[in-house]
Amino acid sequence: MSETLTFLGLESSCDDTAAAVVRHRPGHAPEILASVVAGQEELHAAFGGVVPEIAARAHAEKLDICVEQALARADLRLSEIDGIAVTAGPGLIGGVLAGVLCAKGLAAGAGLPLVGVNHLAGHALTPRLTDSVAFPYLMLLVSGGHCQFLLVTGAQEFRRLGGTIDDAPGEAFDKAARLLGLPQPGGPSVEREARGGDARRFALPRPLLDRPGCDLSFSGLKTALLRERDKLVEAQGGLTRQDRADLCAGFQAAITEVLAEKSRRALAEYMSLDPAEPVFAVAGGVAANKAIRSELETVSRDIGARFLAPPLALCTDNAAMIAWAGIERYRQGGRDDMSLAARPRWPLDTRSPALLGSGRKGAKA
Amino acid sequence: MPHDDLTLAFDTSAAHCAAALVSGGQVLAHRSEEMARGQAERLFPLLEELLAEAGAGWKDLGRIGVGIGPGNFTGTRISVSAARGLALSLEIPALGVSTFEALAHGLPRPLIASVDARAGRLYLQRFADGADEPPMLASSDSLPSDWFAPGVRVVGHAAPELAALLGGQPVPAAVPLARAIAAIAASRTADRAARPAPLYLRPADAAPPRDSAPVILP
Repeated sequence: MSETLTFLGLESSCDDTAAAVVRHRPGHAPEILASVVAGQEELHAAFGGVVPEIAARAHAEKLDICVEQALARADLRLSEIDGIAVTAGPGLIGGVLAGVLCAKGLAAGAGLPLVGVNHLAGHALTPRLTDSVAFPYLMLLVSGGHCQFLLVTGAQEFRRLGGTIDDAPGEAFDKAARLLGLPQPGGPSVEREARGGDARRFALPRPLLDRPGCDLSFSGLKTALLRERDKLVEAQGGLTRQDRADLCAGFQAAITEVLAEKSRRALAEYMSLDPAEPVFAVAGGVAANKAIRSELETVSRDIGARFLAPPLALCTDNAAMIAWAGIERYRQGGRDDMSLAARPRWPLDTRSPALLGSGRKGAKA
Repeated sequence: MPHDDLTLAFDTSAAHCAAALVSGGQVLAHRSEEMARGQAERLFPLLEELLAEAGAGWKDLGRIGVGIGPGNFTGTRISVSAARGLALSLEIPALGVSTFEALAHGLPRPLIASVDARAGRLYLQRFADGADEPPMLASSDSLPSDWFAPGVRVVGHAAPELAALLGGQPVPAAVPLARAIAAIAASRTADRAARPAPLYLRPADAAPPRDSAPVILP
């Protein structure tokens, strides 16, 4: 299929309500004609994390407004769109459902094809949206909800080389900030504090570093941080600002070191495929952390792969990546009918053994 | 060309998928399927069946009526999200109708409409002779004292029990849910700018974090 495609994308799987319009002329770089993201940070701030029901309520009443804004910014009418792409999972099911049903209403009313997109595929295909990267490339998806190394060999072919067996790093940053009385989201707060801290003062663990493979774990690190905090509180009745900065620095250093070492292993596996133009791409909010990013960049350079971090607005949740993944899937003949289901769990790689979630409900991601 | 009076209404606020297509006061097609789950998958195929049955297409619709609950939060959002998507793509109004209004449709007042709120509680709204009172979440031992009146009519969930408690009489709904929603939506003044929103009547279940922040020493 070689025609120009203009897709509307919808995203509502976590705490960002988003709509975007992306156009692709074969042989040219894709164009983002509009990308609207309505965050919900203030709605969840009091609860120290995303509350699924609060998120779902906001999505249901914001999504169509975001779509209108995206169309207005792209200066297009729905009749000028070629297809509707929507995140159909994995994620918080209330929000995903709101997105899928809104998309069905749009597709049915406008007589357009509907394409359900895996949210993780959206992230994993972003390097092709921003930089027209060729397959195969290595992707580290590292965010508040996800952490996995993906070998991307096609628009719908992903092999997970490893991933977290418990928390995602973004989640760990949020919890650390909460334990230390720092504002949410935790990533930027911890990073800011860490600048004035001594990373060597506290001996925090490097989970799973001694085991082979690319799997990661961050839950024990959080517990170790809590233990160090409690020791200080018991001894002095609280934390000094320096204590807090040192704890942040130590915590960030541990996450950085683990991600860097596991990236080295994933890269080695990737390079054994002998890619013509090797690329190591990162996506997800945690990729915005400068210390982590610079370390990953070094690892990538050492091994001879081009390091790619899409602009932050396209690294975190957005709908441009969903529209793009929709275009890629559509070009391969993918489309859905009106019975498209929303899936809380939907692993990208169905062949590798599940890391998270098991039993009756199956793997999560 | 849309017919101003061709109204499609649907509701998934409880364990069902219900829809009706009405025009000029006539019910062209109507369907209600019991289902505890799967409404998100079933809703649009059901709506398409209804349209086909009446020989109509999406673009023939003049307006949408949607059930806004109260009831199952997720179920209510399924229909409201669908209605908002359809309103946008068809450029027609979508009107939200509560289960209370649908239950009260065609019944004499004063009337109390009741919806199951689970855990022994009820969503209630009283339609007095004059104005409609605000809906509320209540349990049977915390009903407003001025509701206890001989002869008051009660419609909806647990109507016999509630009527016995209040000294009134239970009455059945006059019209099935989706048909009532369609009739009410068709009779209202349409405002393209107004968007339907779920009627929750209950805040989201959320608690502040358990871990308290440590004291920061000077």
